[in-house]
Amino acid sequence: MIPAYYEFQNSAKILSGNRAIEHIGFELLSLGVSRPLVLTNQQLLDLKIATIVLDALADTEATVATVFTDVPVDSSVDVVNEVARVYRETQADAIVAVGGGSVLDTAKGAAIVLTHGATDLMQYRGAESLRGRRSVAFIAIPTTAGTGSEATSAAVIKDTERHLKLSFQSLSLLPDVAILDPRMTLKLPPRLTASTAMDALTHAVESVSCRQANPLSDNYARSAIDLIREYLPRVLDRPDDERARLALANAALMAGVAFSNAMVGIVHAMGHAAGGVAGIAHGDAMALLLPHGMAYNSDAVCDRYAEILPNLAGIDVYAATPPAERGQAAIDAVRSLLKMLHERTGLPLTLSQAGVSAGQIPEIASVALDEAALSMNVKQPTYEELVAILEGAL
Amino acid sequence: MAARAWRVKRGRKAIAAIVLWVLGRGLVASARLDGRVRREVASWPDPSVVTLLIAPWGPRVSWRRAGNSLTAIGSAEVDPDLLVTFKSVDVALPCLLGMKGVLDAFTEHRSTASGDLKHAMSVLRCLHIVEGYLFPDIMTRRILPRPAERSRGHLVAYANLLHSSATIESGERP
Repeated sequence: MIPAYYEFQNSAKILSGNRAIEHIGFELLSLGVSRPLVLTNQQLLDLKIATIVLDALADTEATVATVFTDVPVDSSVDVVNEVARVYRETQADAIVAVGGGSVLDTAKGAAIVLTHGATDLMQYRGAESLRGRRSVAFIAIPTTAGTGSEATSAAVIKDTERHLKLSFQSLSLLPDVAILDPRMTLKLPPRLTASTAMDALTHAVESVSCRQANPLSDNYARSAIDLIREYLPRVLDRPDDERARLALANAALMAGVAFSNAMVGIVHAMGHAAGGVAGIAHGDAMALLLPHGMAYNSDAVCDRYAEILPNLAGIDVYAATPPAERGQAAIDAVRSLLKMLHERTGLPLTLSQAGVSAGQIPEIASVALDEAALSMNVKQPTYEELVAILEGAL
Repeated sequence: MAARAWRVKRGRKAIAAIVLWVLGRGLVASARLDGRVRREVASWPDPSVVTLLIAPWGPRVSWRRAGNSLTAIGSAEVDPDLLVTFKSVDVALPCLLGMKGVLDAFTEHRSTASGDLKHAMSVLRCLHIVEGYLFPDIMTRRILPRPAERSRGHLVAYANLLHSSATIESGERP
């Protein structure tokens, strides 16, 4: 499949492996910086996860300018501005972000403020609207294996005063270096491991079926799906299996690269809306809505789903399935995976299990209709179609 | 060759300027004729300005929503709340002439959006409706995500291009 036109970028240097974080000193030197601000949250410090990075930094020529830990669950404009203020005040010259999507998005927001001298982040909302190179060196160290934010060009930051979610999408938001070290995700409980892995799987599957799918993003997506199929059950069996944890971290990163270039579609549009309206955790929303989004799209991209059947279910299942049934088999494989995760970790299978009521469906559909992700979907659903899909997932 | 290429590009920009003017009036005409557009525009920030620009220096077209009025303000240089920029005239022209979908330009990274992406989605839906009024079905079948729906015929829409403003209404989602 070759699109008439596509663009692709993945400029981040990737360090992946056991004790990869110990190379952080060399990477800072390579970037020509020596006073990083470490951005993380208190929970990661308490769990001694961020400490691994601080210990590694202590053994380098770099001097930590400060450790900023006040990052909330949802990154906000106020926190971004505060990080930028502290960065200037402490004369830092780089940001090392250690955390999940919120911490990494906060780092991206601070980089926008520091690069563009912004006083109001609102000015920089949009898609590919940022100009110029980022002036802040940025190293991303994810502590979950799901968002792929360490390899994406997108950030979402809450404007709590104006009750808005500000979306930014620009290639200048990609980190300089992404470090995947299994020690960072070893303590993730099974339920969260399953939820974040399904977030990554959704990134990969949606990137394959979106309007900007291209040969490069396809390869990242298919490799990500392979890793999740093989290693997610292994991590659930043995949560301290470092190799399996590293594989899932790689899957999340690769899925991030895939969707950062090919984009995501209807599942993310509905999932973001469900998160905003009903407060469902992002990974849970992705997991339970993925088969429903695939079923809606299947008449348009059944052949694309058939192509990822070997990645989702294995080559034997692919070979044993008649060609005309492979697209549907791919959807069935996702349903089987979800069922297994539900039984082993309690991951919700339906919107109602996730706490959504029937009365919230119209609002979720209405909000989803305005999600930019919907424009990337291979089919453009109407409000009524969105309501029907969501009711099917209830 | 360079001079010829320059003349071709200039010609394309001139055509694009004319089509953008028609598109500007087309959105207003559609708002006059179609409740879906009026309801979409009613969801835009009040007041707000939307601009479609062909990089780097134009041509451009803008609309202002203020209170219950939508006005096409043509190529005037204004400070927009939402700026949609086609990266080049070579990308913009096929979209403006109905040979390629506006949605395709956005999804193929051929255009950028500065501002609220929710607002951009509403503008995108409006442009799809406008294209349904301005272009024949044989063209819209290829460029619109679903078959065009019209409450009035093409000729009525063209006649309404004479107007530069429309009254909008608030209401529920179309």
